[in-house]
Amino acid sequence: MTAPLLRVEALTKRFGGLVAVKDIGFAINGGEILGLIGPNGSGKSTVMKCIMGIERPNEGSVTLDGVEVAGWPTHRIARAGIGIVFQHSRPLHRQTVLEHIKLALLPDSLLKLAADQGVEQRARWVAARVGLEHVMDRLPGTLPFADLRRLELAKAVARNPKVVLVDEPFAGLTAGEVAAFSELIATFRAEGKAVLLVDHNVKGVAALVDRVLAMYLGEKVAEGTADEVMHDETVRAVYLGGKIEPAQRPPRAAGSRDRLLDVRGVSVLYGKAQALDDVSLHVGAGEFVSVVGLNGAGKTTLFNAISGLVPYTGAITWNGTPLQHRSVARIARGGIVQCPESRELFGDMTVRENLDLGGHHLGREARAKQIDWLFGLFPILQERQTQAARTLSGGEQQMLAIARALMMQPKLLVLDEPTLGLAPVILEQLSKALETLRQSTDITVVLGEQNVTFALPHADRVYVVEHGRIAWEGSPARFAEEAGTGYL
Amino acid sequence: MKSRVARLALVALAILAILPFGVSGYVLGLLTLAFYYGVCAMAWDLLFGFAGEVNFGPSFLMGLGAYAAALLNHYAGWPIPACLVAGAVAAVAGGAVLAVPALKLHGPYFGLVTLVAVLLLQNFIVLFAGITGGEIGLDLPDVLSVSDRINYWYALGFMAVSGAILFGLSRSMVGLILQACGQDATEAAALGFNVAKHKLAAFCVSALFSGLAGAMLIFYMGTASVGTTVDIGVGVQIIIAAVLGGRRTILGAAIGSIFLIVAGEILRPLGQLSSFVVSGIALVVILFFQGGFLGAALAAEARK
Amino acid sequence: MLALQILIDGFAISSLYAVGAIGFTLIFGVSGVLNLSHGAIMAVAAIIAWYVAGDLGAGSYGGALAGIATGLALSLVTYGLVVRPIQSSRTIAHEEKEIFVLTSTLLWGLMLQVLVAYIFTDNPKTVQPLVSGVVEILGVRTPRNEIFTAILSWAAIGLLWQLVHRTRAGKSLLAASINPRGLALLGFELSNIYLLVWVIYGVLAGLAGVLLGMFLGVSSDNAGTLTASAFSIVVLGGLGSVTGSLIAAYVVGYLETVTAYLVSPSIRTVPVLLLLVLVVYLRPQGLLGRR
Repeated sequence: MTAPLLRVEALTKRFGGLVAVKDIGFAINGGEILGLIGPNGSGKSTVMKCIMGIERPNEGSVTLDGVEVAGWPTHRIARAGIGIVFQHSRPLHRQTVLEHIKLALLPDSLLKLAADQGVEQRARWVAARVGLEHVMDRLPGTLPFADLRRLELAKAVARNPKVVLVDEPFAGLTAGEVAAFSELIATFRAEGKAVLLVDHNVKGVAALVDRVLAMYLGEKVAEGTADEVMHDETVRAVYLGGKIEPAQRPPRAAGSRDRLLDVRGVSVLYGKAQALDDVSLHVGAGEFVSVVGLNGAGKTTLFNAISGLVPYTGAITWNGTPLQHRSVARIARGGIVQCPESRELFGDMTVRENLDLGGHHLGREARAKQIDWLFGLFPILQERQTQAARTLSGGEQQMLAIARALMMQPKLLVLDEPTLGLAPVILEQLSKALETLRQSTDITVVLGEQNVTFALPHADRVYVVEHGRIAWEGSPARFAEEAGTGYL
Repeated sequence: MKSRVARLALVALAILAILPFGVSGYVLGLLTLAFYYGVCAMAWDLLFGFAGEVNFGPSFLMGLGAYAAALLNHYAGWPIPACLVAGAVAAVAGGAVLAVPALKLHGPYFGLVTLVAVLLLQNFIVLFAGITGGEIGLDLPDVLSVSDRINYWYALGFMAVSGAILFGLSRSMVGLILQACGQDATEAAALGFNVAKHKLAAFCVSALFSGLAGAMLIFYMGTASVGTTVDIGVGVQIIIAAVLGGRRTILGAAIGSIFLIVAGEILRPLGQLSSFVVSGIALVVILFFQGGFLGAALAAEARK
Repeated sequence: MLALQILIDGFAISSLYAVGAIGFTLIFGVSGVLNLSHGAIMAVAAIIAWYVAGDLGAGSYGGALAGIATGLALSLVTYGLVVRPIQSSRTIAHEEKEIFVLTSTLLWGLMLQVLVAYIFTDNPKTVQPLVSGVVEILGVRTPRNEIFTAILSWAAIGLLWQLVHRTRAGKSLLAASINPRGLALLGFELSNIYLLVWVIYGVLAGLAGVLLGMFLGVSSDNAGTLTASAFSIVVLGGLGSVTGSLIAAYVVGYLETVTAYLVSPSIRTVPVLLLLVLVVYLRPQGLLGRR
């Protein structure tokens, strides 16, 4: 049995008090593709950075073909035989595709003014290999997104590395392009390279990988074939929140409410990557709509478009009036309040001050009343009201973020991934708070979640977002039957 | 494109070379100054446009070169060529010292360090006025030449050679690596390049040419003074020249320097206000035509 | 009683520095801008105060008000004509905006300096003080104006503190310096907040300039040194931290005063610059810096 090309053992990385990666170990042989899967905050990107020397591991070892490389500077690791494709392409704007690849082939010398004879030829060969032979003399600005990603791949494999690391290989690609890229990565395997693919979901890379390692909050939660991991109990608990149970509420008639929020044909481009593709959905007054999808599917982009944080094509109307070109603050004042995934709290200010800012439009008495009501909903916030927001635990911060949003007395509350990284006990509290909110007010809610078990019980309707598109729409009961199985 | 620029540059050089036969000594003197500052501006562009490091005190490097050469000439009687070499060495040492924080600091902090370096140098020169001549300046026993024309040709030659080297570097593979290091250090490292090494080299090259320019300048003028070599105003002029001419073009910086001197001269009747107007023009160019003269010209060319 | 003299003079100059430095750091914390025309704005405000008080005969109060108004006006012009076009430009790459703003404010400061030197010459001007006379503190003869400077500076700082911590507008400023995106999502128009911070800055810079003019006199040549002092203080204290700037202002003020008295006035900025270099190498975020 040949020794593995890349072996990681007991890898641990801490950032101050936060343990981002804990005791991660795996091995990849030549001619093998391993998928490293995990949601946001799982530590998978940190693992990749530790392998490449961009971060220095606190403990553990990384061996490349038997040589210990942990702690080496990045450029030395690259020369030793590891190539990396980052998530975001950052090409040099004034250099052609061919020049980029030639750059990747240059030695690390201060004195070489001109490239060697063989470099030009090899660069052309590499370009052809990844499918860029027709655009070799074009500038990156003129290339479509898929070709930019090919360029990144070309740079990573130009010097024929032993190991290739790829971060989110298919993000932003169309279905057809995904197939082409899969084939390309498969050829790396055929050449005997060890390939590590880092991604959010197993489904996307299932067809390509030989094995999968799933991570959550820095630790390994499952390892095995793609199929095994997809059905693993712990993985499903962590990703989906547990068994998908049918909703306990009677479904409301679909068209019986006025459309408060109407999203039609919205598309968002981040640079060249298609983050949202022709998305349409609607929310009626008093409804609770859950938008379900994995990290990176496009939920946050959709919410950012609604809140006015990103430009988009298409139409979003609120109570009949179009929202496009309105400022973020104006949309918020108009009644759509978002509690973003990143929470955006004022860390150095106290809990009370955060809430006060949320209620800035109210008079003193009205504000005090509102805060009292919220303290009833989230008692822990009352206890901590004089503490600085950044000293709160994750769950408490989430509650503060929601409470602050509620201070604005929104007509539509948009919650983006409130359960990310929170313990089950906190999820219970949040769920109860949401239920109380539903019962006691006529607020309209849009909840974006990866955790289906959390999102389903409260919902009147469910949308499934996948790869920037609406993949499914219907009632919670039907979700369990139709969409739930293929979700992961 | 490249050969077109090179051909145009050669034509321009030829014109400049025969200029002394038809133009007054006064104008030649102005252009001589412009050429020396132009070299500093080109060196600045290499550092900023390619290595991505903003040096707010190019006059620090120029001043180091100038004063090292001046002191050696005045007190030790070294001949000019030896002083020039010493000036270059002093400036390179200074450049290396500046490079150290550059590799650790980000954002505005490095810019501040470069500004502080200039202020410190200026203060020290004034402090030790007994040795350095302070604000009045240090008289030099040797000069390059007493003839306007010969001084002019020395300066033109120096600028042509420096420009050729700096431009050549920028277009070479080394320049490509530098650009990558400047734009995205992590990506450059992932491609196998020791970013720190390359940036340090960029600093040293930039310092070499700035220091040499400073050293030659004082032997042209016959005195070394803070006002012409170290002052923040000098540094700002160098930066404006590079930005006006077009960042990342190297040659544009020389054009910018000539333009500034010529514009200053044309606006001379305004007295002190001339620098106000020139700064105003530079501000407008920065705000609306970030490509500078050469950048705009190249863009117009590409669009055809 | 040299020690007492240093103590008193140092306190007065530090308080004055603090007013300017707090404005400088506020602009950075909220608007993200290192305004290198800061010294020029202070100098112009002082010179206008001198002109209005003396040549226009408005007296010291009129002059002081004119000076502060000048600071405000220049601040708004700096924001509207120099900074905002760059920040909202679509042709400048995002990573380069900071450098462009730095360069542009540097240029703008130079323009102001040259303009005012052209109109009023670069001779030092002393603004007519609001308070005259001398007082004896424990054997040290101190001009009343000096004490007045310190009191007025602290009054301004106190007012600012009240504004930031007790009013809604002030708290929104603080929030904007922590998280502008979060603030926008709560319905605050960021453009109004930026305008507010530049207004406050203008008043502070104008006041600092006028006080300096009354205390030590100002010439257009001082513009660069004043900017250097301000950013030395702000970097030492920590970019964006108001409390840090306050403390650092006293460190710098006293360092300068001690150097001026015990060594020589002409090199009083040197120890400060050396300290700055040390801080940037060893602890770049300064005393209380957040970013």
